[in-house]
Amino acid sequence: MRDRGLMIFAILAGFLLCGSATASDPRNPSMLGNTCAGCHGTNGASGGGAMPNIGGLDKLYLQEVLKQFKSGARDSTIMGRIMRGYSDLEINAIASFMARQEWVPASFSENSGQIAEGGKIHASSQCDTCHKNDGRFQNDYTPRLAGQWPEYLYNMLAIFHDIGSPASQPAEMRKRVQKLSQEEIEAVANFYAAQR
Amino acid sequence: MTTFSRRDFIRAAGAMSALGALGYIPTGSAKGARVVVVGGGFGGAIAAKYIRMADPSIDVRLIDKNGEYVTCPLSNEVLGGERDISSLTFDYRGLVKNHGVRFVKTEISEIRADQKYVKDTGGSKYRYDKLILSPGIGFRWDAIEGYDEAATEQMPHAWKAGPQTVLLRKQLESMDDGGVFYIVAPPNPFRCPPGPYERAAQVAHYFKHHKPKSKIIILDAKDKFSKQGLFTQGWKTNYGDMIEWVSGAEGGIIEEVDPNTNTLIGQVDEFKADVANVIPPQKAATIAETAGLTNEKGWCPVDQRTFESTLHKDVHVIGDSAIAGKMPKSGYAANSQAKVCAQAVVAALNGDPAPEPSYVNTCYSIIAPKYGISVAAVYQLTDEGIMPVKGAGGLSSIEASPRTRALEVEYANGWFTSITSDMFT
Repeated sequence: MRDRGLMIFAILAGFLLCGSATASDPRNPSMLGNTCAGCHGTNGASGGGAMPNIGGLDKLYLQEVLKQFKSGARDSTIMGRIMRGYSDLEINAIASFMARQEWVPASFSENSGQIAEGGKIHASSQCDTCHKNDGRFQNDYTPRLAGQWPEYLYNMLAIFHDIGSPASQPAEMRKRVQKLSQEEIEAVANFYAAQR
Repeated sequence: MTTFSRRDFIRAAGAMSALGALGYIPTGSAKGARVVVVGGGFGGAIAAKYIRMADPSIDVRLIDKNGEYVTCPLSNEVLGGERDISSLTFDYRGLVKNHGVRFVKTEISEIRADQKYVKDTGGSKYRYDKLILSPGIGFRWDAIEGYDEAATEQMPHAWKAGPQTVLLRKQLESMDDGGVFYIVAPPNPFRCPPGPYERAAQVAHYFKHHKPKSKIIILDAKDKFSKQGLFTQGWKTNYGDMIEWVSGAEGGIIEEVDPNTNTLIGQVDEFKADVANVIPPQKAATIAETAGLTNEKGWCPVDQRTFESTLHKDVHVIGDSAIAGKMPKSGYAANSQAKVCAQAVVAALNGDPAPEPSYVNTCYSIIAPKYGISVAAVYQLTDEGIMPVKGAGGLSSIEASPRTRALEVEYANGWFTSITSDMFT
């Protein structure tokens, strides 16, 4: 309820302040959020592959990440170009809209050996310091991993491993990911993807 | 922005507080209202689904002449041999089962905007309160002498995916190594501005591995094209000198064809093709034209807030046939327009004002299996129509790393999976 009040305030404030801006009225959250669905699926439930689920992620986490894309603090292929098209208030509205959606876990062909191996790495590499409860836990700086698409998780971990990503991971995490082989990264990506 | 009255404030606040999980929630009652959507592609399928998602009391009938839909996006990969046409083929069962859309497989031949019904070729009438047309493109059969519908059997356009795509692939497979494949690229505006240039790359991918002595020549009606710098770089990097582009000014404009001899006749030169792909100049689909929804240039003028035709009330036109400001004629654009239109239609049927629109376009092009590029834009409605938000959008970097180029292919495929799940599930 508090969130909703804030959102109304934020949107109306934007509305009253926009003055000479060309887009006059505030754009409602579903109007804004629906534009994401072309890549991230209806209500942020991705169709799969390299496109991550975003519906059901933590609101503050989404706000932060989307603003990092906008500022360039977080590397991206395309998200920076897109997020620069929205005001910070609109980004908050998009984050709130997506956070309220149901998290739809990935469905993919699961390899039980790989998942078991990934589970061991989750524990031994201390991933569960932050990604508690087998990756189900989320808060404003920890994304939910359980049920995320494996190809997306693999790509992100590979980037953390190979080139680092200072905005999107703590230094400790990078050290731990760098110790993993490609096969281990694949296993841990599949472990999280398979959690429900 | 006009004055912001107390009544508006209360309405905005009311609308916002109702937004909650779903966003827009209609305040009136549209129970029993009938919406007919004609054309089940990137625009129509989304419009039908999103109206039902926003207001399930509205009766939505989706009419398409085919029971299956074959996507144009990624159909160049069928020509390149990386995909089978079946991976691009979808049906409407998900929309029926999950969203209560009523699907009718029939061809609409007449629109009576004055009587608010459409009629199919069998004579059945479908009445509506709001009609949404998403009919795609039509071809200007009178633009290139000798290029009529019969000529497409020898010189496929392959610009509506399906049998034409398969035919062109077969011709490429039958061509001898060392042959020349010509693409005749159309003038603006046309469906999928980067499409002809991605097509050249995909066919080059096939030739490189199977017919390395062959050549690809694009004869263009234009003097520049979408993502030109990125394509030129990508062609060179992946295929050396295999692809040649001839601008309109350099003799690329084709005025006549002879399908019997596979000859393309320009203003100066004639070109003898081993395989010829002629993408003709375009206009709005025939149904839009015959219904009197087009302007003198052959496209449909609409109110870009609601996509309601400026020529006929209660008829909305979205996607390639519509004039949508600065938005290109792409699948993503049609998807985005459909959602704006759906909210406007639901609002109108509930007696609410049309909401402020937001639109996005993203177009990926796959140059090679690990080499993708993209263009994106975020749009807003202004006094000059739909305009890109300044400072946002743009092209992939010309200096992007091989890793980024490879990731963009993964995102192209991920985009396809997600947008088709948005359309059909």
